[in-house]
Parts: sequence; C-alpha cells; structure tokens
Amino acid sequence: MNKYFKMAAGGAAMLAATALAVPTAQAEPKQGGTLTMIYRIIAGHFNPAIASGTPTGIPGTQLFAALIRYDDQWRPQPYLAESWKIADDGLSVQVNLRKNAVFHDGHPITSEDVAFSIETIKANHPFKTMYGPVTKVTTPDKHTAIIHLSAPHPAIELAMSSQLGVVIPKHIYGEGNIRKNPRNSQDIVGSGPFKLKEFKPGEYIIMERFDDFFLEGRPYLDQIVFKKMAESTSRIIALETGKADLTAFASDPQELTRLKKSKHLTLTPDGYSAIGPLNWLAFNTTRKPFDDKRVRQAIGYAMNKKLMIKILYSGFAKRATGPIHPGSVFYSGDVNDYAYDVAKAKALLDAAGLKPDADGIRLKTTLNFIPGGAVWKRWSEITKAQLKKIGIDVTLKASSDFRSWIKTVAGHDFDMTLDSVFNWGDPVIGVHRTYQSTNIRKGVPWHNTQQFRNADVDAVMMKAGLENDLAKRKALYAKMQKMVVEEAPIIYINASPYHTIYNHDRVGNPPVDSIWGTSSPMDNVYIKQ
Amino acid sequence: MSDSESTTQAGPPPADMDEIFVEHPFRQFVAMYFRNYAAVAGLLVFVTIVGAALFAPMILDLDPFEMVDEPLLRPGEGGHLLGTDNLGRDLFIAIVYGARVTMAVGGAAAGITLFIGLTIGAMAGFYRGWVDEVLMRVTEFFQVLPPLLLAMVLVALFSPTLETVAISIGVVSWTGVARLARAEFLRLREQEFVKAARSIGARDRRIIWLVIMPNALPPLIVNAALTVGIAILFEAALSFLGLSDPNVMSWGKLIGDNRDYLLDAPWTVTFPGVAIFLTVLAMSLIGDGLTDAFNPKLRER
Repeated sequence: MNKYFKMAAGGAAMLAATALAVPTAQAEPKQGGTLTMIYRIIAGHFNPAIASGTPTGIPGTQLFAALIRYDDQWRPQPYLAESWKIADDGLSVQVNLRKNAVFHDGHPITSEDVAFSIETIKANHPFKTMYGPVTKVTTPDKHTAIIHLSAPHPAIELAMSSQLGVVIPKHIYGEGNIRKNPRNSQDIVGSGPFKLKEFKPGEYIIMERFDDFFLEGRPYLDQIVFKKMAESTSRIIALETGKADLTAFASDPQELTRLKKSKHLTLTPDGYSAIGPLNWLAFNTTRKPFDDKRVRQAIGYAMNKKLMIKILYSGFAKRATGPIHPGSVFYSGDVNDYAYDVAKAKALLDAAGLKPDADGIRLKTTLNFIPGGAVWKRWSEITKAQLKKIGIDVTLKASSDFRSWIKTVAGHDFDMTLDSVFNWGDPVIGVHRTYQSTNIRKGVPWHNTQQFRNADVDAVMMKAGLENDLAKRKALYAKMQKMVVEEAPIIYINASPYHTIYNHDRVGNPPVDSIWGTSSPMDNVYIKQ
Repeated sequence: MSDSESTTQAGPPPADMDEIFVEHPFRQFVAMYFRNYAAVAGLLVFVTIVGAALFAPMILDLDPFEMVDEPLLRPGEGGHLLGTDNLGRDLFIAIVYGARVTMAVGGAAAGITLFIGLTIGAMAGFYRGWVDEVLMRVTEFFQVLPPLLLAMVLVALFSPTLETVAISIGVVSWTGVARLARAEFLRLREQEFVKAARSIGARDRRIIWLVIMPNALPPLIVNAALTVGIAILFEAALSFLGLSDPNVMSWGKLIGDNRDYLLDAPWTVTFPGVAIFLTVLAMSLIGDGLTDAFNPKLRER
C-alpha cells in the first residue's frame, strides 16, 4: 500500500513538474487540435437569424459570422464588416464588407446577403425591437450595404453583433419558408470560422475549420465538438477527468464549488455582460394589493438579498440592483437599494392599510416559481420565510413543467412570480420589453408581464432608445433605473451566477474575451498541447 | 358467555383455569399482540411519532420554514438539537412538524389503497365470472405499470400538492390489496355461514359488507399497516425527486432539499432518513404483531 502511494506521489510530482514547464511554451497560439465543449442542452437547429437562445447561439456563432464583434469592454470591432459608419442624423448605417469573405460553399458574401439577412431577422427573430426601425437595406455595390432607419437607433450596433446579427446566404435560405428550411440543421452553409461536419440531433454537433475563412490564419482549432450533457454529475466528471475542455452557463453552486477544487480548471464569471441574466421577484401590478406601490416596496425591504445570495449561490452571484445588469455599460447603482429593513416594511404595509389580523397575518398571496431547478425552489422558500416575518402568508405554486409556468405568467395569472430574464446587450433589445406599457402582450413569453404602466418611464426609455450620444444615453438610462426601482414593479435580487469553465492546461485564449462570451466566434481559441 | 360458564361449573375442576376460560376475542387478540415484544416496540415508536405529530405543533407553535440560523450548522451547534438544514431551518423542528405531514400522507394514501383495493377485490371475488375477468385484467394492467414512474407522472400532471401526492400513491399501490381481497372473498363465499346468510334471503350488499368482509379483514388489516409504511417511503421518494408540495414540511422533502449537501452536511439527510426508517420499521413490526394476533392457531399455545 505504502509503495503504491509513493509511486503515485512520484508520478504526481513529475506531472506537476511538466505542468510548471508548460507556461513558457504557451505564448504563441498554434494551429490544430479539437476543442470539446459540453452543454446541458442541444438545440434543434443552429440558425440564429430566426431564433434566440444560447443553445442555438453558441454553435450558431461558430457557423455564421455577424457584421460586428465586441471585445470585453463593450467596444464594437470589425468582423465581417471591415468598417461601418452611422450617419450624423442617425438615420442610416453604411456597412463596408470584407472583399475576401466567402460562404462555406465558396459563394462570395455580398451586400445582397446582408440585406437578405437583416430582412429575415426582422421578420423572424423573436426580438422585434432589434431591427424594428429598419425601413429598408439598399445595396449600392457588392460590398456596401446601407441600412435605412425610420428613427435614430443606437442599439443597431449591438443588433449587428454575435448571434443577433448573423449573415446567412441568400442563395440557400432565400426560397420558401425559412423556418421550415431543413438546412437550418443539416448541410448548413454558413459564413463563420467553422463549418458543419456532423450533427446528431439530441446528442452532438461537430464543426470543423473552414479553410477559406475571411480572417487570415484563423481559426486555430481544427475542430469543435459540442456535446450535450444534461446531467450535472456527468458534466462535473467530464471536466474533472479532462474528457471535456469547456462548458458555459454553469450556475449550480454545488457544481461550481466542486469544480473550483480542480487544479486544471479555471472558473470565470466573465463573458456574460451582454446576455445580462437577472433573477427577480415580479408583481402582477394590476392585482390588489400589488397595485399599491407601498406594498411592493415593503416586500422589497423585507427581502434579505444579501442572505439570499449567500445561501443560494454560495457567494458565486452578484447583487442586482435594477433593471440593467451590473456588467452593462448602462448600469447605474444610483438607485434605492431596498436594504433589509423589517420595521420599514411593516410601516409601509400599515400605511397601505394592510393591518395584521389576530394571527399576525396581513395578506395571503401566492408565488409562482420556475420548475425544474433546486435553486429556484430554494429561492422561493426563502422568499416565503422572509415575507412571513412581515405578516405576508405566501403559498408557493409549483408548475408541472416549464411551459405551464410560462403560460401562467404570460397569461397574467399570478400574484407574484420568480423570473429570470436576460438583458441581451442593449436595453432596447432586452430591457425595454419588461417595462414598456406598449409591450403588454398577453400570451407572449417575457413581455411586460407585470403590466407596469408609467408614462414617465415610457418617455425616458423612448428618448434613450433614440439617443446616439453614449454619455447622454447613459444619463437617460440612469434616470430610468432610478424611476423603475422606485416604482418597484420588480424586486431585483441577483445576476445569475453564470460561469464559463475551461481546462487551462489545454485551452489557450479561452472564449471569455468578449461581452458575448461563448456566444461569439471562437476563432481565437487554440489548444496548447 | 353464560353457556360456557355453566359448562365450566358443571365439569371437573380444570388443571389450568386460563386454558379453558374463553376470553373475549378482543382481549385474546390484545394478549397475543403483547406477547410479541418486537411488535410492542413498534407500537411504542408509532405512538410516539403520532403523538409528536398531533401535539407538538399545538405546544411549540413555531414555523418549521423559518430560517432561524446559519445554514448547515452541526447538531448541537447554536442550540439546535439536530443542527440546521441548507436554508438555516432548525432540523429538529422541521422533523417534528414533518411527522404530521408524513403520517397524514402515509395514512391517507393507505386509506385510498385499501378503499380501491377492497372494492375491486371484493367485487371480483364475490361475483366471479366476467366481473372477475374484467376487474382482474384492469388490476393486471396497473400491476405492470412501474409504480414510482406512474406516481411521478400523476404528480407532475396535477401539480404537487399534498392531496395529489396521497392520491397518486393510492392509485399506484392498490393492486396487492385487490388480489388479497379477491382471494379471501373467493375462499369465504363458499363457506357454510355465507350459504346460511344467502338462504335466509340476504342481499348481495349485505353479504359482501356484513357477512364476508368482517371475516376477510384480518389479513387486510395487516396489509394496511404495511401499506402505510410503503406509502411513507413513496412520499419520501417523490419528495426526493422534487415532486412534493413546497408549502408543507415533510421528511421526504427535507431529504430532497438537502441531498445536494450530502457530502458536506450528512446530518441534514441522515436525521429525516432515520425518522422514515423508524416509522416504516414500526409499521412493519406492528403488521407482524397483528398477523400473530389474528392467527387463531397461535392462540392455543
């Protein structure tokens, strides 16, 4: 036994020595190698022009190139567009394409394809505000496209990036109903750094290097294997044993705690500021007594957010204070924090006329929560326990599955609900929809389900959505955040603790150098060994 | 009674009065039960748990959902007898309150099991013929369905509340009772006393419920005791899989909630597990004792 132990220890020491030797050789990226990425779900198709969602977006941004890409500081960079210019009046954007860019079948990428792509996205993508103001796209020559806008639209740059603004070939997807096009999932002809090699529905997608990619010498990788692994335990084991190199959107605190102990793995929360995931408690502001701002604020004060983050996420999550994700350029912390204060909460309820009865109960109400995750259930149980302290008796309403929860909330059939909503980069795309009084669309998932109506907030958002000057725009959103938090249609708790996890012994230039994280092209990623 | 008294007085004095003296059947039953020490221990555990379930909430008046302290405290730490769970709730209080829900679900599920099983078994055994054929095919259909899976589907379909959990458990576990009841009825319906009842013009309903049923009950009661134990395990399994009513505290829910912390805080799962183990063991010992007590052959010893 002792002998084996010594042998094992010796082996480990040797391994450690080689590991120490590696860093000297890692500076220069090198060609070749296969990156294995695991993910909890695999999408049915990979055409980001017609669907949102990260399962489509992660492989989709490898297969299709967007016009623009972003670095990790929210600075737009040239990608398929060599350059672009927003007109001084803000009513048009001229895009100059790279001249050497071709699709995976060899056809050159032209302005015709750009016009077709934008029109397709406008007609089919769930985010209607993204290209909402686009009136038409003209094509003066093969490599120039001009996007015409009905009003200034500062969100346009973000809408042209990552999985939101992909360029798809007109000669492949131009005919018939694009939603039914079989080439969304098989025989994909894309514009990105990797081309489809094999897709096995429900299991994996293998993408290989596209040799004629428009960026010289890129991508470095020969192949990306994107594999579905639904079970948390299987993912942990695959990463620990080195069978997988990379995973993204990991948020389970147990999973993170355990993987943090592995010496060859790096966990990072970087790369999620564009997605901007927020967890919150939403009110149905048309139901009594939640139509009274004071009741909503009281609940805000009664929730011990710091404690929730500590217990639920073992310290892996950041606090969210308002409608905009803390990682966004438009984030402003100058809002009412609703610091935990039970006395204040009770005083507000008193003022709202909700007096305690003989049992100390002021109000009986319900809370819906997202089914399927242990964290969501704990989240709701903590909320229930905390609200009991101010005399609010909450019955938790479990939904049988995700769809029925969506249906309940989208149909306004709730008092309070836990929700998890993404910012999607620009507030116009992912934030306005939650607060605009014009976006109360019963039955549609993630509209203004709170049915919040405030003319002042509407006006500020309208103005901010048209403002092309970044500093002025920031000021307008700072105002909007302050107003919304004060009105409290939603109590903000935390940013989802999404983490990208990679094997740093193998993966060079991990895909965390963009605000879009893994939902951006991995042409820069390489394998060290 | 008077007859037997007169015979004892008339005959020669017996060697041992007890052997001849004919006791009231219930007293005999109790005496037989208490001869089985394991069964007595089971009964004691059961009474303690039911007592806790009934009276503790009245005396303590606490909220088992209240987060009283830091999460995952060890037993004894911070004055918490059994420690705290993953959300900082007192485990001892949670287990005491959980007893009520667990026993209620177990009892209700066993009741539903008995009701469905008895009705179907009695009908099949009494009427025989095509009624038997149809009912037994239905029973077989339910027998081949994997019970836990079926219960999961039912709970998932109708949202996890206490009622749906109890009903689903009942719906998936009645087949054994039906088979047993049918066998008893098939046997008893040919007995002389049933024929006698029929010959004086008793109707079917009277014969089923008042003539055959009391005689068929003993094995069914034993079965019911065991069913309570099985139902408690079922509830725990469903809760473990996250299919429990989030508004009520049960032992299975405690295990399900804390299973992610098994390696860091084993006590959070162990204590509710021990509670389930003791209850199911008690039910099974009680069932054993009841079998003995009902068995006339053992009484002669």
